[in-house]
Amino acid sequence: MTQRPEPPVLAVRGLSVRFLMPGGRQVAAVTDAHFDVAAGECLALIGESGCGKSVLASALLGLLPANARTAGRAHLGGLDLLTADERTLARTVRGRMIGLIPQSPAAHLTPVRTIRSHMEETVAQLTGVRGRAAVRTAAEAAAARAAFPAGHLDRYPHELSGGLAQRAATALALVGGAPLLLADEPTTGLDRDLVEHTVDELRRHVDVPAGAAGASPGAGSRRALLMITHDLTAAERIADRVAVMYAGRLVELADAKAFFGTPGPRHPYSRGLLRALPEREFTPIPGMPPELGDLPAGCDFAVRCERATDACGRRPRTTDSVACHHPYLPEGVRA
Amino acid sequence: MLELHAITAGYDRRAPVVREVSLTVEPGEAVGLLGPSGCGKSTLARVAALLHRPDSGTLVLDGEPVRGWRHQAPRALRTAIGVVFQQPRLSSDPRLRLADLIAEPLRATGRREEAAGRVAELAAPLGLTPDLLRRRPHEVSDGQLQRACLARALALRPRWLICDEVTAMLDASTTAALVEAIEHYRSTTGAGLLAVGHDHTLLRRWCDRTVHWDALTSSDGHTTAALDVPASRSAR
Amino acid sequence: MTSISDATSGTAAAEEAEEAEPVWRSRGTDRRSTRTIRVYTSATLIVATVLAVLLVPPAVQLDQQAIDLSAKLLPPSWEHPFGTDDVGRDLLLRCVHGLRVSLLVGVAAALAATVIGTAVGACAGALGGWVDRGVMRLVDTFSSVPHLLLGIFIIAMFRPGVWPVVISVALTHWLSTARIVRAEILSLRSRPYIDAAVSGGASRWRVTVRHLLPGVLPQAALAAVLMIPHAMWHESALSFLGLGLPTHTASLGTLVQSARGSLLAGQWWPTLFPGLFIIVPTLAIAGLAGAWRERLNPRRRSELML
Repeated sequence: MTQRPEPPVLAVRGLSVRFLMPGGRQVAAVTDAHFDVAAGECLALIGESGCGKSVLASALLGLLPANARTAGRAHLGGLDLLTADERTLARTVRGRMIGLIPQSPAAHLTPVRTIRSHMEETVAQLTGVRGRAAVRTAAEAAAARAAFPAGHLDRYPHELSGGLAQRAATALALVGGAPLLLADEPTTGLDRDLVEHTVDELRRHVDVPAGAAGASPGAGSRRALLMITHDLTAAERIADRVAVMYAGRLVELADAKAFFGTPGPRHPYSRGLLRALPEREFTPIPGMPPELGDLPAGCDFAVRCERATDACGRRPRTTDSVACHHPYLPEGVRA
Repeated sequence: MLELHAITAGYDRRAPVVREVSLTVEPGEAVGLLGPSGCGKSTLARVAALLHRPDSGTLVLDGEPVRGWRHQAPRALRTAIGVVFQQPRLSSDPRLRLADLIAEPLRATGRREEAAGRVAELAAPLGLTPDLLRRRPHEVSDGQLQRACLARALALRPRWLICDEVTAMLDASTTAALVEAIEHYRSTTGAGLLAVGHDHTLLRRWCDRTVHWDALTSSDGHTTAALDVPASRSAR
Repeated sequence: MTSISDATSGTAAAEEAEEAEPVWRSRGTDRRSTRTIRVYTSATLIVATVLAVLLVPPAVQLDQQAIDLSAKLLPPSWEHPFGTDDVGRDLLLRCVHGLRVSLLVGVAAALAATVIGTAVGACAGALGGWVDRGVMRLVDTFSSVPHLLLGIFIIAMFRPGVWPVVISVALTHWLSTARIVRAEILSLRSRPYIDAAVSGGASRWRVTVRHLLPGVLPQAALAAVLMIPHAMWHESALSFLGLGLPTHTASLGTLVQSARGSLLAGQWWPTLFPGLFIIVPTLAIAGLAGAWRERLNPRRRSELML
């Protein structure tokens, strides 16, 4: 990464999401999230289920339910995703600026239509390609880009294996030449081999320049990938940087190599997550995350944290990308 | 002993997903069954849990051959096996509060009076607070719900546990916590475990021995023999 | 790693902003307002209908049967807002009385049909096997006969009156409920939570009554509500054919039926108003049931889930 600093593809500043519940209760699903995703970079957003990471993805896509309130900004290509109206989101954002790779691709595809018909429809919708023959060629090219075998194009979604369905979904997400790929738990329920395969292919789409089927605006530049996952092994395999979310807040933003290797994570929660892996200590973090509707006044993690002191009764500021009063030092081991 | 002999099972007699599979779990032993998704290992787990009648083959539970499945199995036999499934959302009745969910097996077997005490006893070590126990499934996270499902499976103190991909939807910490709770139960009661999954690292760390699905189905006629070779032992 | 420093400086810059309360914006597609209007309109209409039916006949001491041949077939006026019929009876009063009978038939028949349908469907779905096959063949057989024909056949076995009509409607309408309930139970039966109940030692009865039936009751209740207008129409159809209620008993069907002659003579009001009395409650019930169905939709329920 020696090029001159270019502006990030996605810049999120102070993104918060609240749900207004019956009875005047509020659920703080996401609070004050700041992060960037640059071209050619993969940021993995990790955290437990229910920590708010899927809500964050929905907020970026403008797919929140009616009782949600948002604050902050999320800039993507000169557009603030949080204030754009539904028409703009539908016409210019989804598919064209953000390619979504869904959690369960087989369920994401229409069961009564072949993969070819999905591809052709998407090509016709998102690119300037016109004419039946041209669309057909472009659709085949788009499938090839995600390594989807041409011989399987005329199959229906239920006739595909999990891996091929994932490739089909990826191919669809790539058609519009979107500068940002958003993958929401793309590996849930997949076998380890398939996880590695899926993740490697996603990585490849980040590394090679985007060449869309039609004359796309993003052609030539590389894509950015925001991957939301609870699968730490997958995150380690793919990510350049890691964002750790706990109770709706980003508690740590770190370089992936340092995070998974040495010196390791600096926030005690991130440490705990890694320690729980079966290939490491396999010891759980005691307790459970707090309710998003009833967060403590101070640090959300304090009650589960072995390093907690009285200072943790205050909410920690994010300093040097870690929101903790007692972070592990960058050098590592000194406790 | 939980002995599955030459089990053939599936949802269509012409195309069974499980063919001639044999597997044995010793009392107190933890066996991990590894296999890719869709290979039929979940069906085998359902057969072992008396929830799916196999097309052929026999299941011998603690020396007694099983003659009926589901409601045809005697209640005492059914409740000797605790089952936990992959998706907590689908395996919990959406109308029941967590406390009722956990107490359900006790109520169903006419041990209503014990219910309150037993629920408290099961919930506390799993971190299920009274507040959580008052909620319904859609008001808790996947991890919390799976803890309740585990508590339900343990409510009747089963001698056998069948865990079908129980941690596939969960994060690392919740996975470790659930495994810790299961192992704690097994160490105090001596229950046997059949854990089905696709995560090699997890099952090798968790179980006494792991068996790969392919080793069970390789049709060389010596499937049972292939089994008895401990696949790999964790370094605990 | 330029992006890290970018993010860091961004974080630092935002730190000051954090103190200020963020500006909250409403997001998401809010279809709620139109839905609310629909629900309130429907609810108001239903409440008005029920009140009219319950309160008007005892409150207005006029005799709906009173014949006044000097005032026959008067167009709507202040004295007779809906006009009068061919023997000079006040149509507004006749309509309210007719609605009363029609609603009674509709509600009673829908209730009976739902009870029969739920019981049959639950048995078929929960027991499965040959019971299921036998019961569903029976349902198919019943369904293959046109409803009205079957209804007429049943009616023919009794003397005309309100209850034969209820029985006739109930016996022809439980089939769809049985199908809905059976399908729903079959889909619930394959859920892991039923497996868990079986494994937890629950008896067949307990699984059906405690786990399966509560799951289908909302659907069955919805079907019952949607059946009320259906049953009202069925009653009207029977009465219109002269097979339902005796013509002197006002029901919406008999009113329309006895107004046929005057319609040809250009007098529209004796048919229009009873007709409206059939259509308006139908639409109101459908509107409310539609909103309810949306609430039952699991997607909407899980919308608030994180």
